[in-house]
Formats: sequence, structure tokens, C-alpha cells
Amino acid sequence: MPPRRDADFMDVEFESDISLDDDADYDGKGKGKGKAKVTDKKKKDKGKSKAKDQAYTWEANFVRSWETVQEDESGSLQGSVEELLARGRRRRLLAPASAIRRTIIRHLVLLLDLSSAMMDRDMRPTRFDLMLQYAREFIVEWFDQNPLGQMGIVGMRAGIGERIGEMSGNPQDVLKAISERHKMEPTGEPSLQNAIEMARSSMSHLPAHSSREILILFGSLTTCDPGNIHDTLDACAQSKTRISVVALAAEMKICRDLCDKTGGQFGVAMNEGHFKDLLFELVPPPAQRSLPRPGGGGSANPTADLMMMGFPSRLPDTSPASLCVCHSELKSEGFLCPRCQAKVCDVPTDCDICGLMIVSSPHLARSYHHLFPVQPFTPV
Amino acid sequence: MSTLLAVVLDLAPAQWHAAAKASTSPLPLATFIQHLNAFLNAHIAANNDNIIAVFAALPGTSVMLYPAAEPHVPVPDANSYTPFKLLDSAIIHGIERELDVIADSDNEVPVALVGALSKALCYINRLTIAQPTAKNEHALDPHILVLSVSPDLSSSYIPIMNAIFSAQKLKVTIDVCKIYGPETVFLQQAAHLTGGSYIYLERRDALLQYLTMSFLSAPALRKTLSVPTQDKIDFRVACFCHKNIVDIGFVCSVCLSIFCQPVPVCSTCKTRFPMKILQRLNAARPLLPSANSNGAARNSSPAGGRTNGNGNATRTR
Repeated sequence: MPPRRDADFMDVEFESDISLDDDADYDGKGKGKGKAKVTDKKKKDKGKSKAKDQAYTWEANFVRSWETVQEDESGSLQGSVEELLARGRRRRLLAPASAIRRTIIRHLVLLLDLSSAMMDRDMRPTRFDLMLQYAREFIVEWFDQNPLGQMGIVGMRAGIGERIGEMSGNPQDVLKAISERHKMEPTGEPSLQNAIEMARSSMSHLPAHSSREILILFGSLTTCDPGNIHDTLDACAQSKTRISVVALAAEMKICRDLCDKTGGQFGVAMNEGHFKDLLFELVPPPAQRSLPRPGGGGSANPTADLMMMGFPSRLPDTSPASLCVCHSELKSEGFLCPRCQAKVCDVPTDCDICGLMIVSSPHLARSYHHLFPVQPFTPV
Repeated sequence: MSTLLAVVLDLAPAQWHAAAKASTSPLPLATFIQHLNAFLNAHIAANNDNIIAVFAALPGTSVMLYPAAEPHVPVPDANSYTPFKLLDSAIIHGIERELDVIADSDNEVPVALVGALSKALCYINRLTIAQPTAKNEHALDPHILVLSVSPDLSSSYIPIMNAIFSAQKLKVTIDVCKIYGPETVFLQQAAHLTGGSYIYLERRDALLQYLTMSFLSAPALRKTLSVPTQDKIDFRVACFCHKNIVDIGFVCSVCLSIFCQPVPVCSTCKTRFPMKILQRLNAARPLLPSANSNGAARNSSPAGGRTNGNGNATRTR
């Protein structure tokens, strides 16, 4: 799998980063970023006067990433490359081989930071462009692995939360929502509280068996909130909303708290590759935490649920054209809801007429490999 | 444009025996191998860079027939083209050898179709990924042709779906030619999901014609050639409890098991469902005319709900 190989490669680089950079250097980097944030607006007029800040990648200490790759006697890199591949294989073997319980029906709100801090150029070309690019890849991969999931997008800009994409089960809809870059031009300060409240309210109606997740891509070091964000945090913990944060600047106490208290993951991206790694770690469905009641002695499991699902019949391409209920377009192909016979364009979806969840059997099958993992192959 | 064709042969002895005895257009195994060899030779002849791999699914095991691990060296023959000769003899001897092995054991084991399919995918993966610097990196157009005679094996559903999804990831087209036996839903889905074609042979004695007309061309050329596609694919599923085909099912949120009626305990993962949900679902479920099996969960649903003639279920409250 190409992304995995990439990930391993990056991993090695980080190790070298840590081993070669001493503490002082790391500190300097962190401070530099902090200052850069504060002086963000001034920078525009003053230009290069803040050169000692080391806010730019090209001013940072030199990392000799090639030195981690060792040549063997004959000058070939084969040994090193094989080691990198073996590392990835080992990680795959460490993955749990037994069936563990995972949340399959996922609902995720992607919170994008659209504050002015995202225009920082410490990641190429800018944090904002990189985030958009990785967000697109993330959405495709996420829907590939979670075909029954739904995703919405909320932006944090100028102190408010802005709904960019409605909750949808169709990757094309979600991608379309963030396709227009000029509509999301970063400006102002971000507000974590407003955005989280907006994301939470869009998931408040969901039944207990579906997961509620918020993924925040955060580039700023500040948040300007109308109230106490700890109240929001408590509300999220109460409603079992999982918050994960990938920070692009530095660790913030409140971000760490958000993740720790809701069971999410927190990570600070060190460079472009690490950012992608952190993001893609969140693609596979999270393991469900074991319930406090062991054995399930007699009492019903509160999070388990029977869901009514419809399995549609597909209309052939040659059938007479008719209007679909989702886009009101004249089409010949489509799927018929088994309960109300309405025609929808794409599955999986909720029927617009009767609200029945319509899935096709391959979608269910696609989720099975999370539940019943495949045994590792034996190399020959 | 060179193609990589992996052929998966389904060699279930009982099914082939039945195919040879079929009342309409019988096809014995020997004739089948003749047709197959002609088709594979045509594939090699079409382009110098074309690659062929042949896998056989046998009862309980799967083997790679060509390229073979220990190649059988045929007697040199001045009247035959060597690549053809090598391929034909490898396939014929491979099949003979494997059929001799299973001739002794007479207990009926289903064929390892998924095993053969996975081996084909691994082989394709090795050729396309392991040598990315090869000159025909982009030109290699992999597809798998499954020649199937056995019916669906319900226990292999998850493995076969996993194989289909890996094929999707690798951008491998799976074509299915159903030579004998009932339609297989799994292979229909395999062909549909990977953009291949599924063809059910109506005249088995014309196998070679079907093969050359539909499956010889590279998948990239299919659009221009208008290869037959399938119109209706069954996306419905069989429930885990009675193996009924259902339109509207009840799915366990933990393990995605499908039931045709609300059940209090999931039979797969032993999860108990809250009573409230059962009652709500029982009230909302459509009464299907076929689903009149007895069960404790049914008691609460009123018997008065009727369905009208064309299958539209009326909901009872």
C-alpha cells in the first residue's frame, strides 16, 4: 500500500529529527512559531525584520535525513529500503488480529481552521493549502473505509463557526463543499467553542449506536470564545462526542484537554508528512471502549441497537428516465427504496421520502473487514 | 497496450461431470480445455508483451498452473510455436496431475475459488508493484477471468468480498464467465464492482466464441467494443437467521448481522437489544407476505397488516 510505505519513510525522518536536534533547538522552534503568530499582522508591513524568529523552514536547523539511510559494502541502498519495508510489515503484524468491537456507523464533523494563522508558510505552500489538499485525500480514504459513515464540514473563521458542508454520506458532496478555495479564504481569529457547539448540535439527533466524532485541524494558537469552553467540553463528554485534534502550530492545553476527556487523539504535526500521518491515523474506525458492565449479566447493552435498513433494487441503464427525489434530475439509472419506491441516485443514503436507511450489500461487506480482520499472509 | 490476464479455472469434478452430461449443449472438460488453450494462445499472440497466469481452484486447495513452479518441458515439435506449446502442456499436465490427486479422495469438498482468486491478485500485485521501473509500467492492464461452474458458497462471502475490494484498489477488472450451474450472486457483484462483465453461457459448445468476443480485449478497450454488460444485479442480501432474501432487514449495529425480523439477541455477537427498540421496530416493520415464520418477536405485531399485490408493504402502527 503506497501511503503506508510513505508513512514509514517519514517515521524514520522524525526519529532523525529528534536525535539530531537537541532540546534547545526544539525550544527555539516552538517559541519562534509562537512569536510568529503574535506578530502575524505586523509581519506584513515589516517584512523580513523578524529574521531571528526562525519562523520559516529554511531558517531552521539543517536535518541530514539522508544520513539515516546507510549504504552497504557494495554501495547499494537495498538493505536500508528493505528495512523500511520490514518496519511497515511489522507494524501491520502488530495490529490486532482478533475481532474487536469497533464503531461502524460513524458520524464525523471535520472542523477546519480558517483563521489568519493558516496563511503561515511553515508548511509548503501554506498551512491552508496543505490542509485543503490533505483534507480531500482524507475524505476519500475515510469514505472508502467507512462506507456507512457520514461527514459534515464546519469552518472556524472570524470568531464564528461556519457550516461549509452538511452532514452527508456521499463523498462527492463533501468534496464539493471544500472544492472552492476562494470561498474559504482564511481570515480573523478562530473560535473553538462556537465551532464545536455547531458541530455538536448537528449531531445531537443521532441515535446511540452511531459514533459522534469531531476532528479539528487547528493551526492557530489562540481561540476567542463567547463563553466558558470547559462547559462545551463537559457537554461533549456527556454526549460521548469524541474530539480529535491535529494541531499545526504547537500544543495547547485546551486542545489536549478536549482530546483526553473525550477519548480522542491529539497530535502536533512536525512537518508535512507527519501531518498526513496524524490525519490518516484517524481513518480506521476507533475501537469501542469496553463497557463498564462486564459480562452483560441480563441487562441490555445501551449502545447496541437494531437498525432497520433497506436493500434497494438497482434500475438498469435502459429503464425509462424519471426524476430522482434527491436532486430532481431526470435520470434512467438509480436505486428504488424498498419501502416507498422512491428513486434515489446513490447509495448508501437515507431515503428522502420515508427516512429508511438504504444500503447495498457490498457496503455492509466493506465494513466486515474491520470486524473480522484478515489473517496476515505468509510470505513465500 | 499489453495486458496481464489471470485466468481462474473452477475445476469442481462433480460440476464438470454434470456439465458433460447436460441435456442442452453439453461441454466435457476435455473440450473445455481445448477451447481454453485456443483462447489463451490467441491472447499471447495478440501482443508480444501480454502476460498470462493460470490458476486452478480445486476442492479444498488452489494451485498455480502457469507459470508453473516446476515447468514441464515438452518434447520439441517443429510444427508448433514454442510459447503456445509451453503454455498448453503446462495447463494440460497441471490439470491431469491435480485431478489425479483428488481422484483418490471422494468426499465432496467445495472448491477453493477464493484461494485461487487471492493468489491471482497477489501475482498481479507482485508484477505491477514490485517492478515499478519496468518500461511497461503504465501499459500493463491487469484483468482476471473467472471461469466458474460451481454455485455460490455462502461461507466464503466475506473472503470473496475482501478479494473484490482488493481488486478494486489494485484497479483490476474481474470478468466472470459462468459456464455451468446456477447464477452466482457473488461473482455477479465481483464483475459489477470492478467494472468487468458477467456472462452466462447459453450455448456452452460456443465457449471459444464467447471468450474471444468478450474477454480477449483489454479492459480499456471495452467501451469502444460494447461488450455485453449485465443489467440487473441483485443487491439484496440473505438474512443470517433463515437465509431469506430480504428487501428490508434489521441490522445489528455491533456486528452488522442481518435479520429478517427483530430479534432480542444477536445470534452472531450475542448482544442483547433494548426492549424498547424491539417494540418500536415491531410496530414499524412492514409485513412481508413471505415472512410468516413463527417467532417470539412477532407476537407484538398486529396480524391485520396486509400487503397489497405489487409488493408495496403497508405499514401498521
